[in-house]
Amino acid sequence: MITVNVKCFSQVMYALDTDILLIELESGATTDTLEKIIRDRADGKLDGVSLRTAVNQKYIPDVVELKDGDEVAFIPPVQGG
Amino acid sequence: MIHVEIINGPITPFPSDNSHQDDGAELVFNGRVRDTEHGENITALEYEQYEGMAEAELRKLAEETMQKYPVHNLFCRHRVGKVNVGEASLHVAIWTKHRKEGLEGMSWFISELKKRIPIWKWAIMEDGSRIPSECTHR
Repeated sequence: MITVNVKCFSQVMYALDTDILLIELESGATTDTLEKIIRDRADGKLDGVSLRTAVNQKYIPDVVELKDGDEVAFIPPVQGG
Repeated sequence: MIHVEIINGPITPFPSDNSHQDDGAELVFNGRVRDTEHGENITALEYEQYEGMAEAELRKLAEETMQKYPVHNLFCRHRVGKVNVGEASLHVAIWTKHRKEGLEGMSWFISELKKRIPIWKWAIMEDGSRIPSECTHR
């Protein structure tokens, strides 16, 4: 098993009512598996919300395998400016 | 030269002085908080960042802008925390030899900032409630 830290911002924070989650996954789990878990926990509140994935504070273009201790964020549309 | 920072507090503008002798154009942009969000009155926006990643991405974007356009200096300050209506949340200054590349570089930098820098805003409504500014789950 591995444990990852999921940081939650904006609509993700609002949907899950928390800014951080510790989630245990099977070894070899990937970012898309984790995204499905997050969306399921949101109980429909993230339906239709596009999420970009960042691992250890960097955007990743594709699905990657997660490692123990990774920091993951599913980033909803940004709104700076 | 690049100078980017994310600050929690009022923005002090970058100085406009006579030291940029190779540059014929100095462009300054201030983004300010409007009094409505999606047609509803607000009192402020509260900006949230992904601490660490937001400033790193902002620096990367500034570097890309200077590779894409002949910009000599790009300075940017972005606020986080509560920003009242009318106050500046974003301040950008760019120096270039000619105005055309400065205007294009400024436009591209701000457009990209709005697409990729992990900063979000929460609307503070007149009743004091706080909601993600794009959220429909009120």
